[in-house]
Amino acid sequence: MRALVLCGALTAALAATSAHAQIDITGEWATKAHEDFDDRVPGDVQGDFTGVPMNDAARRFAESWDVTRVNLLEHQCQPYNVAHIFRGPMQFRIWTEKDPATQSIISYREYLGTYQQFRTIWMDNRPHPPDYVPHTNMGFSTGEWHGDILTVTTTHIKKEFYRRSGIPSSDRTTLVEHYIRHGNLLSHVMIITDPVYLTEPYLNSEEFVQMERGNQNWLYNCEYVMEVPMDKNRVPYYLPGMNPFIQDYAKKFGLPFEAVFGGAPTTYPEYEPKLEQLMKGR
Amino acid sequence: MRMNWKIVLPAACLMLMAAFGVRAHHSFTATYFEDREITIEGKLLQFMFRNPHSFVHIEAPGDDGQMHRWAVEWGGAGALAGQGVTNQTLRAGDVVKITGNPGREAGDYRLRMQYLRRDSDGFEWGKKPGETFQ
Repeated sequence: MRALVLCGALTAALAATSAHAQIDITGEWATKAHEDFDDRVPGDVQGDFTGVPMNDAARRFAESWDVTRVNLLEHQCQPYNVAHIFRGPMQFRIWTEKDPATQSIISYREYLGTYQQFRTIWMDNRPHPPDYVPHTNMGFSTGEWHGDILTVTTTHIKKEFYRRSGIPSSDRTTLVEHYIRHGNLLSHVMIITDPVYLTEPYLNSEEFVQMERGNQNWLYNCEYVMEVPMDKNRVPYYLPGMNPFIQDYAKKFGLPFEAVFGGAPTTYPEYEPKLEQLMKGR
Repeated sequence: MRMNWKIVLPAACLMLMAAFGVRAHHSFTATYFEDREITIEGKLLQFMFRNPHSFVHIEAPGDDGQMHRWAVEWGGAGALAGQGVTNQTLRAGDVVKITGNPGREAGDYRLRMQYLRRDSDGFEWGKKPGETFQ
């Protein structure tokens, strides 16, 4: 009997150790925008489609996209969705909700300063809801630990954009994130699948640095105003083939437009000989 | 080691500016000709201190000699607050001179703010990196 009790106690202790041994990702984190700075912070000239495995539907959307459309009242304060918001400069806070009886983690909570967005990452093995459940900017997220990597799967995301150059995302987007902590740095990897606008998964990674002294600027007041005097019923757009700015990025960097607008094949090293060939032929 | 607050404080402000309110829904470079500048002068009609970006509307003449309502896009409220700008900094009726990058869309009377001066009290903003001067 004594051996049985000892064995039970040991098992319970091991289980408890395992549940509490994960690396701590809670705290306040701020963007370290040293990668892809031009795209992620100020934005570049129109027509940057590099690195995105976009399909023809996405190309048609991008061709008709007029960047001034975001001046419309309806779009001014529209939040980025969860598959996009981490790309911009921002700070976010992570904390846990724990079961008071067992102290196991029920969920990670996040508050994202940009657009004041909240999200919950459920850690209690609950299933994702049915397809017909309303979609939100932050979607529905579940997480699980793989060693020291927190992997989060998010569905039920509202449509938005992958890039401000007009590459659209659909409400069938699925986002898989990996949170990997290295000291006071947090690596955040995003793998996005979208059967409507992407031909294969779209990968991004960002770094965040822990804010040891915090930060007071957690609010994001956005009011709908007439930013630029314009007809309130006019929606800026371009008809096919009429967008005068779509090749600006290719021209700025001396790249063939085909290479900038080519989607998945252009994202692989194997494309380099083709690019060289295109460059020679110019 | 003693900290030199004259260096540390501006640096901290710049870091905050970099972190907040710099990115709008759109790319500045995609919206404005960043290699061109024009200067307008006129009466301030409205100051919208907000996110994702603040806007200043002033009445000033265009190329055609006619008066137009110009929309001048400025930083987000968070970024401007870090530079000492508040929602009381500018008031309707102020006469201001603004230099900025013109919009790419022909017929839009819009600028991206680069420099602002109000002669009545000498208030200035622009020319980086602290931006605000008085």
